[in-house]
Amino acid sequence: MMDMSTVRLQSTRAAAFGSASTIGAALPFLLLLTIGATLPLFAGGYWGLIATRACVYWVLVAGLNLVVGFAGQIAIGWVALLTLGAYTTSVLAAGNVMPPFPPYVALAIAAGVGAVFGVIIGLPALRLRTFYFAITTLGFATIVTQVALAWQSVTGGGVGVPGPILPEPFSSPWGFYYFCFALAAICTWMTANIAASRFGRALTAIRDAEVAAEACGIAKPALLVTVFLFSGALAAIAGGLFAVLQSYITPDAFTFDLSLLFFIAILIGGRGSVLGPLLGTILLTFLPEFAAPLVAWSTFLYAVLLLVIVLVVPGGIAEMLDFRNRRPLESNRAIIPRPDLLPRLLDANVNAGALTLEQVAVSFGGVRAIDGLDLAIQPRQVHGLIGPNGSGKTTVLNVISGYYAPLAGVAKLNGVALPVHAQHSRAQLRIARTFQTPRLIGAASVLHNVMIGGTIDGRGSFAESLLSLPRHRRDEAALHEQAMLALTTVGLEQLAPARVDRLPHSALRFVEIARALMLRPAFLLLDEPAAGLSAEEIRRLGALIVAVARQGAGVLLVEHHADLIFDICDHITVLNLGRILAAGTPTEIRSHREVVNAYLGG
Amino acid sequence: MPISAAEPLLWVAGLSAGYGKIGVLRDIDLTVGAGELVALLGPNGAGKTTLLRAVSGLLPCSGQVRFAGRNLAGAGPRETVRAGLVHVLEGHRVFTQLTACDNLLLAAYDLPRAERAARVEEALALFPEIAARRHDRAGAFSGGQQQMLAVAQGLVHRPRLLMLDEPSAGLSPMLVDRVFAVLGQLRKSGTAVLLVEQLIEKALALADRVYALARGAIVLQAATREVDLPHRLERAYFGLDHTGAQAESNERGNARPSGGVVSS
Amino acid sequence: MVESIVSYGLGIGCIYALIGVTYNVMFSASRVFSFTAGTLGMLGGVLGSLFIARLGMPVVVGFALTLAASALFGVLTEIVAVRPVLKSLEQHLYVLSTLALALMTQQFTAIEWSTEPQPFPRLFDIARGGFDQQFWLPMLACMVVVVGLELLYRYTLVGRAFLAISEDNYAARALGLPERALRTASYALAGVIGALAGFAGGEMLLAFFANAPMLTFYGFVPVALGGMGNNRGAVVAGLLLGLFQQAANFLVGGLFASVAVFTMFIIVLLARPEGLAGMAAERRV
Repeated sequence: MMDMSTVRLQSTRAAAFGSASTIGAALPFLLLLTIGATLPLFAGGYWGLIATRACVYWVLVAGLNLVVGFAGQIAIGWVALLTLGAYTTSVLAAGNVMPPFPPYVALAIAAGVGAVFGVIIGLPALRLRTFYFAITTLGFATIVTQVALAWQSVTGGGVGVPGPILPEPFSSPWGFYYFCFALAAICTWMTANIAASRFGRALTAIRDAEVAAEACGIAKPALLVTVFLFSGALAAIAGGLFAVLQSYITPDAFTFDLSLLFFIAILIGGRGSVLGPLLGTILLTFLPEFAAPLVAWSTFLYAVLLLVIVLVVPGGIAEMLDFRNRRPLESNRAIIPRPDLLPRLLDANVNAGALTLEQVAVSFGGVRAIDGLDLAIQPRQVHGLIGPNGSGKTTVLNVISGYYAPLAGVAKLNGVALPVHAQHSRAQLRIARTFQTPRLIGAASVLHNVMIGGTIDGRGSFAESLLSLPRHRRDEAALHEQAMLALTTVGLEQLAPARVDRLPHSALRFVEIARALMLRPAFLLLDEPAAGLSAEEIRRLGALIVAVARQGAGVLLVEHHADLIFDICDHITVLNLGRILAAGTPTEIRSHREVVNAYLGG
Repeated sequence: MPISAAEPLLWVAGLSAGYGKIGVLRDIDLTVGAGELVALLGPNGAGKTTLLRAVSGLLPCSGQVRFAGRNLAGAGPRETVRAGLVHVLEGHRVFTQLTACDNLLLAAYDLPRAERAARVEEALALFPEIAARRHDRAGAFSGGQQQMLAVAQGLVHRPRLLMLDEPSAGLSPMLVDRVFAVLGQLRKSGTAVLLVEQLIEKALALADRVYALARGAIVLQAATREVDLPHRLERAYFGLDHTGAQAESNERGNARPSGGVVSS
Repeated sequence: MVESIVSYGLGIGCIYALIGVTYNVMFSASRVFSFTAGTLGMLGGVLGSLFIARLGMPVVVGFALTLAASALFGVLTEIVAVRPVLKSLEQHLYVLSTLALALMTQQFTAIEWSTEPQPFPRLFDIARGGFDQQFWLPMLACMVVVVGLELLYRYTLVGRAFLAISEDNYAARALGLPERALRTASYALAGVIGALAGFAGGEMLLAFFANAPMLTFYGFVPVALGGMGNNRGAVVAGLLLGLFQQAANFLVGGLFASVAVFTMFIIVLLARPEGLAGMAAERRV
């Protein structure tokens, strides 16, 4: 059919654009790879040492980037893991405590120790708010250094221990440089793979739109623990390499300044990017060398740089290099959904039952927000939920979504009670929702945001994504295609590569709907989707919602716009002061005296 | 810019406002004359609260806002309060950690010390039940008493125009009557009032004129003594007679300063 | 030994408590935790030593100048690191901007003043020993601040205005209060309190740039344990922290004492993220 081929053409064009941009994205990395690989040809031994240090730092920063840049956790005390890795490797290789290990084995063991402690240091992030977590990582860093000082029998105390020596061919300076360079390249490749995987996108969702991430089924604890494991291991390996580089380590080599260097490199580079922090690390490692008289001021300069970045270009180097998103967007482009594509996007649902609330009551601090609520959302129907402000509409949505536990009554899906306080389980149950204020990742592209909707459909594990194994690539291709289809369905395919924070408000509403459709929902909960839309957009939105319902989903539409409600709903429930005032067809409701009075007051 | 003597106390023209990217109000024209009580009605989400916030300077907006002959464009709440335009927020937001008396004293923050106590007494005169509890923490007050305290705070400023956002919300009918009685007294004493309300009948009983706001635009404006008003309001709310309402408001014409070219 | 633990513990505990109050005052005014609280404590000691010991000013003059300079630093913090990012939606930015400012100040101090701890002048010419001034000066400072804040909040309109913007910033604005000026004034006040802590504790801590990160952490523990914005909680928690740390010092030795403190801190926080006295905040969806 004409329509299908148009869509395929769009998809192909997008894919071609995608691969062109992939080559464009890979170019800087290839450039750096070439420079790094050929370094001995044009640089002297001293610069080789500096470059080695940059590579070692980058091994740590690459891992930390996932924690700070992607997951958004303010872990400023990560030097603790560098210290741990350095000492573990050195002590094991030197044989203070047990018979000496071969250096590679010592490095591997250090990686394991780092992984474990990465989780320990990172765990508070799951419970504590931003500033508190930052302070605890600070404390950890201090503790580790102090333990290193105190535990003289093992660490040599203030005197320190010699670093391990790698066997040939890596024992020479240039040999060791290539070893570190190879590891740095591998780390770059691995973290770039994660960045372009559902895990990387899920991390950015946790960072910028945590509530929406939960609604998409992303389980924060599991993902964060995985990332802390990985980052901890990398940091510890970097520590071992650091020990080799320094050839002798003492506790005061691991200053707080070093920790800040890593952290600032990521912030200067820009969150959510791999290239940015890489350039940031190189910059911060090489800067003191060029600013020789200012060496003592290097930390001061890092801090100034950080302040400037925060105030002027919060997106860092990555934002400055993002030329593609500088091009002006076509303004006032009409958003024209394609409901005819829905059969391809959504499953022909094999679901039977309804989503019901039975005598549900929710109270906050003694006040009943909703009471005695009976609601049934049938598949293939659009069910409207209206009522004055404070009538409890959003509370109903949040009970279904799992944020509030009912005081009484139960919410059921197909006769089975929905688990309470398990927001991320809803995605598995194919219950999708949008939010009153769009919750999207502003710094990411529209496509990136929509692909997050399909996170739970991925089959590949973190390790498979890390190494870009076939199953990961299949996942990515499928997600990409489905997301493009979802965007075409809502009429936004042209804006797929655009950054979300550049889009007008109405577009954001449709992006959220596209993301929700990625779940192939059995039930779609819409929270005031028409707010801020023009009359024409509301009409198109209405048509799209009806089409989604006719495909088999049950839609719950919470709205203020009377026109939209009366136009498209099959059934309407009216709430007032937390109780049901009336329920019935639009015609019945419109002429219902009490409803009119409730709206008009009195 | 020629201003005629008939310029209303508050004159709003072409006002648009929103929250970030979300546009809520489009091209609003509205006036309140000195000593008038104007009701602003409308369903939820229409933008009534947004309108008050834009006028009082809590929200940035585009368009023109003139008060007592002064241009208030871009002014913040501090300037508007000084000019005599006072906004009582929705939800009876008083400072619960402080006593009622402190709440009122804070409203008199900019006044010289000697005058503060007098102003507080003045405001309390209309609310004997608050006066009796003036040294109690505002957090111990009931919702209705907090609402009265909030109105009293507004009165400390001796406003020329008092804007109230749904003062009846969450109050028992008796307390609502109490608050409305105070508003009636204010009107008699010459204070202009712009009242956003959900209780149509009570608002209409008190007001001189009424505006209806729906979906971010004025859909109806009329004097309250006109016939058939409740019915017309109903239709305007549910958008069932949109073109009719539009034609009506065009007929009446939007009040603008007469005489001279409107320019800035 | 017990006497020593108590006097030193209470002394240092009062310093921690005051830094906690500094955090709280800034937090109340802006809903933001600033990394500069510890830096203010450091400045109290360094500037005091600079003005009195190095430049030879009389104690009173040096004291006044120290407080004034720190008040200015507080104002600078608000203007440069807090106000620009309050408007932004990105919550983490204020952590970074205040961190950057704190860092710049610490490094500047390290380079221009000294990387080694410098002596802090003895303020009153009384012989050492017993319940020495280095112990009761911080306690006196703590009492003065606590009482002073109480008087401020209860008897002055400005103090009540501070409470108002702390509770409901929006309503304060609508009422016509000069909310921005009040916030800046709060930061100036925080500057004074932090510097007072460092100045009174100068003999104990010496004039040392590395006091800043140390106080940043140990000054935050009272806030975390006592509840955000809760000054009374901060004082109690600070005193307990000081005593606990000193006891640990004696029992397990200095270095492992820090481990003990930190472990206790983490455990309490993980069990009750809002602090011992704080209320669990409801999540807004």
